[in-house]
Amino acid sequence: MASKFGMAGGIPERRVRPVWDAIDSRQFKNALKLSTTLLSKYPNSSYALALKALILERMGKLEEALSVCINAKELLYKNDLILIDDLTLSTLQIVFQRLDHLDMATSCYEYACGKFPNNLELMMGLFNCYVREYSFVKQQQIAIKMYKIAGEERFLLWAVCSIQLQVFCGNGGEKLLQLAEGLLKKHIASHSLHEPEALSVYISLLEQQAKYGDATEVLSGNLGSLIMIEVDKLRIQGRLLARAGDYGGAADIFQKVLTLCPDDWECFLHYLGCLLEDDCIFPSGTNTTPSNSIHVSTSIDCNLSDDVFDSRISRASEFVEKLKAEAGSDSIRNPDLANLEIERRKIIFGKGSYDKLMEDIILFFSRFGHLACFSADVAVFLQVLPGDKKNQLLEKLAKRIASSATSSKNVLGQHITLFKIRELIGDMFPLPEGDLVGFAVQMTEMYCQNLPLSKDLDVQESMFGEEFLSMTCNVLVQLFWRTKHIGYLLEAIMVLELGLTVRRYVWQYKILLLHLYSYWNALPLAYERYKSLDVKNILLETVSHHILPQMLTSPLLVDTSDLLKGYSRFMDEHFKESADLTFLAYRHRNYSKVIEFVQFKERLQRSSQYLTAKIEGSILNLKRNANSIEQAESVLKSLNFGSDFLDVSNEIQSKKLTFNEDLQLRPWWTPSYDKNYLSGPYESMSNYPRETLRNDVKEMESKVTRTIEKRSLLPRMIHLSIQCASSSVKVNSNSDINGFDSKASSELKSLLESYAKFLQLPFHDAVELVTSVASGQKPLEVFSPNLIDWMNFAVCLNAWNLNSNGITIPMNWELLCSLLQQSVSSKIKTAKPLVSFPGTDLSILVQLVMEPLTWHGLIIQSCVRSALPSGKKKKKGGGGGTSDQSNTQLSSSIKNSIVSLNNTIDEVSKSLKEQINKSVDGDIDILLSSINCVDGGPGPGKVVRILEKLVSSVDDLEVGERICHAVKPWKAADVARKMVTAQGTALTDFLNVCDSKIKVLQGLKLQI
Amino acid sequence: MIYVLKIYIPPTSSISPTVARIERATARAREMTTIRRFCCDDLLRFSSVNLDHLTETFNMSFYMTYLARWPDYFHVAEAPGNRVMGYIMGKVEGQGESWHGHVTAVTVAPEFRRQQLAKKLMNLLEDISDKIDKAYFVDLFVRASNTPAIKMYEKLEYVIYRRVLRYYSGEEDGLDMRKALSRDVEKKSIIPLKRPVTPDELEYD
Repeated sequence: MASKFGMAGGIPERRVRPVWDAIDSRQFKNALKLSTTLLSKYPNSSYALALKALILERMGKLEEALSVCINAKELLYKNDLILIDDLTLSTLQIVFQRLDHLDMATSCYEYACGKFPNNLELMMGLFNCYVREYSFVKQQQIAIKMYKIAGEERFLLWAVCSIQLQVFCGNGGEKLLQLAEGLLKKHIASHSLHEPEALSVYISLLEQQAKYGDATEVLSGNLGSLIMIEVDKLRIQGRLLARAGDYGGAADIFQKVLTLCPDDWECFLHYLGCLLEDDCIFPSGTNTTPSNSIHVSTSIDCNLSDDVFDSRISRASEFVEKLKAEAGSDSIRNPDLANLEIERRKIIFGKGSYDKLMEDIILFFSRFGHLACFSADVAVFLQVLPGDKKNQLLEKLAKRIASSATSSKNVLGQHITLFKIRELIGDMFPLPEGDLVGFAVQMTEMYCQNLPLSKDLDVQESMFGEEFLSMTCNVLVQLFWRTKHIGYLLEAIMVLELGLTVRRYVWQYKILLLHLYSYWNALPLAYERYKSLDVKNILLETVSHHILPQMLTSPLLVDTSDLLKGYSRFMDEHFKESADLTFLAYRHRNYSKVIEFVQFKERLQRSSQYLTAKIEGSILNLKRNANSIEQAESVLKSLNFGSDFLDVSNEIQSKKLTFNEDLQLRPWWTPSYDKNYLSGPYESMSNYPRETLRNDVKEMESKVTRTIEKRSLLPRMIHLSIQCASSSVKVNSNSDINGFDSKASSELKSLLESYAKFLQLPFHDAVELVTSVASGQKPLEVFSPNLIDWMNFAVCLNAWNLNSNGITIPMNWELLCSLLQQSVSSKIKTAKPLVSFPGTDLSILVQLVMEPLTWHGLIIQSCVRSALPSGKKKKKGGGGGTSDQSNTQLSSSIKNSIVSLNNTIDEVSKSLKEQINKSVDGDIDILLSSINCVDGGPGPGKVVRILEKLVSSVDDLEVGERICHAVKPWKAADVARKMVTAQGTALTDFLNVCDSKIKVLQGLKLQI
Repeated sequence: MIYVLKIYIPPTSSISPTVARIERATARAREMTTIRRFCCDDLLRFSSVNLDHLTETFNMSFYMTYLARWPDYFHVAEAPGNRVMGYIMGKVEGQGESWHGHVTAVTVAPEFRRQQLAKKLMNLLEDISDKIDKAYFVDLFVRASNTPAIKMYEKLEYVIYRRVLRYYSGEEDGLDMRKALSRDVEKKSIIPLKRPVTPDELEYD
């Protein structure tokens, strides 16, 4: 039954080989020909058919491939005598999977398994099918069957994993875990266990049921020998004891681990946590993956009495001293840091001394302060110091550097650390402007002065003092925020650009620059910097937040679309291949990875960014095609007329979205979801804003969720608006009311009601607000900050009102047009020249044109099309159609709307032209004059002077040929020119969008 | 019959293994760190390591194949505050006396360089190859031009076993470096070949 030697799917291999070879060399046409010949010889071979389907699929003939595949499947079912081998099945499986018909592949295997029971090979194939379908229950059933037949440990573990998956990723109750435990116990009694991974599954199973004692027993019994590395075993033991509440026992175990691995910081935290009986250290619960984030305890309610606390702490201190002594001259950082942690805990408990902690930090600094990671290492200890102590510490650290007798590289490192700590503490916020400038100057000078240290380094290697420029940038941004003087912002850009000239690989500079350029409306340049980061694969999920939000509200439609497509492609590909990789983990008996992979896939599927990309990508596609109603409709059709997104919107609250963006790399001053420090007034902060940012994360997450929920309604609302508008015209001309229209109308109404909820008003209040603003009774400002949402609402409201089943609201074409016109005018009126006003919010105007105005344009197109007699739709300016009976009924308000929309967009277009036509050199002059301070005088310019001095005096003997050559041609004016040009490009892109819309409207005018 | 999964794995010649930014001879401080098995969630946390231009960000199936097949050869180092410091990925393969551990990539974030972390990660992989899998040697490929990396590997007792002509994208030569493990008592596995080889002569990808 299985493939015989030299046979493939029942056909001699030599006959099939030419087909395989042709497929392998991608000569699909030839392969198809060969497969036809093969089929003529073996017309009843499912395998030959499956091969043909495979070839067709590769050629992109999907429908044909599917039908051939189905034929092969039927043949398989029909021919009782024919052998069913795995090669045929797996080939069919591949094609079915690629055609998105996993279910058919599964049924083939199910059929085969039914026909040839007890065939392990086929059963494994079926198991694999269930893995692909994420059918955990069926996985479990077939695995148990295999286990019963073969008695192998691995099949039992497959079943156990499938059970765990039901509990963690499906809707299986935790009682199932008991069943799994029972199965394993029985097997162990008769066969024991032979794989380390099997043992860890067993232990995790017990742990998940809070049977810590049982798990400890298993680990210390015979089975424990499966774990070959002693410390690994000890770590598990410690964790189990701690979770069981035996803190004393756990502390002893962790002490053992530390003796073996004195550098293990996590273990030290566990050790101390257990000594102090801090139950945060091992949160209980049914977490399957080992916790990979160590909880930093900040709680003050330690339940220990004073005496016990003292004795535990002194035990810890003694142990750390012992570790230190044993480490001898071989410097190990852990014990030093451990002392800091002990002191920190004492302070939290109310028994510590700030001075002692500071002393320890200074000691630690003198040994390791030159390391780049020092400041981040001590961040958690700085947090417990009160403000005045922090400042004292800074002074002491500065003195320490002055008196240190170490190598120049180390001194440099210490200086960098000092500035980093300063940033961390946030002590710069209350300082006078002059002091801040002083810091910026000092850091830039240090960068320049220390270039010779990097003389002999390869361009690929990090240079000494690179961090100075990032920190200078942050200080300059802060100065800009405070003074609104654009010179500081320009200097921030200059510093980083020079840094990139010296060494083009510094990604930290690129991230800062991309945000600075975004802020200054030079988005094309920002995007260029982003691209140079080479963000790909999984980094798309964690890093693209730096650019995505700006792009989504920009006129760079093509780039934005590329960005979204690239990201979605990556995610979708992963979802497709993830199950196969899970099966790979099954096959290689790495069971813990099975669960990890499935959970990871789910985590990515629930990614907020992924959902945002899906919905915004579709809306973007609509925007790009909105100049033609036919194209827009075909986009809507491909979106199932927006219905799929309604499901997304409905399910979102139950989905628990994940937020996987790595926000650590974001400069504190960049806009978060809806907060942009730089646009607001300067606030003196008592601590580094990153701390506040962290607290805002939760709030931000719920806002993002609501935004996705809201935006998911939009495609459907647009579709229904088009329907309502077009049928309103048809109704007028044919007086033929059909049922669908009234359904569309009532669905649109309910969506508008939901939409209004997101604007935090009941539907009727929202309607009233819109109409009263439109008629000038209330100011436009009542809509901020949700202007775009309100306008989208108004546009769809008008469409619904055209065909509202007798319900009347005070909305009409004229009011809507006036509203749109008002909003655009007000934004144009407040717009300022981009060069002199960084942070000018051009994106609102862009969005107004791209969204409400565009949707309104579609609705108009839909009306015009319905009003025109068929056959004359495409004719432009033909005299015949205009006198048609039905056209006379076309409300003059639609005509007026066209004119009004045209004028509104024209107003945007004119204001853009005004900016674009300004001379580039003039703008460059404006920029450069902002950094032209008088020597010694206040204001920006001092940092750029240092850079210019470096450029003019750079010497290749001192800094090496490479750096010298890189720096010499650098000019501040070039940087300014690039930025002005990029601003111009963005404006021109926007202008082109406006002009294309005007053209469409003029065409419409001619049609009626 | 063995299932053949259709998973794309880039040929080794198109990737740049053994990135290793290197530590200085003078650095004595050892990193205080937690080294543990790499898990999928770490993929979402390693951007500060991978944004470095020398560290390749592979496609998902590449990482996950390593995780699914050789989880003991894929480790991550974490600093206080759960910051990812660096990681090592590798595998074990071969037959008979060429059964060996292989370092596919080792990388350390800029802020944690010059602290001998790469050495620690390498030693871990060697230990697992030696003690758990009883391999004969560990090998790795490095660009012939990457002098600092080669020097570091030499300090870790790796020797240049052979030169692989135009190994990197058909352009640059690669060096196959090896270190014998305890099972190779006579250190036969590291006797340098006299002539360079071409990529298609390599036994494993």
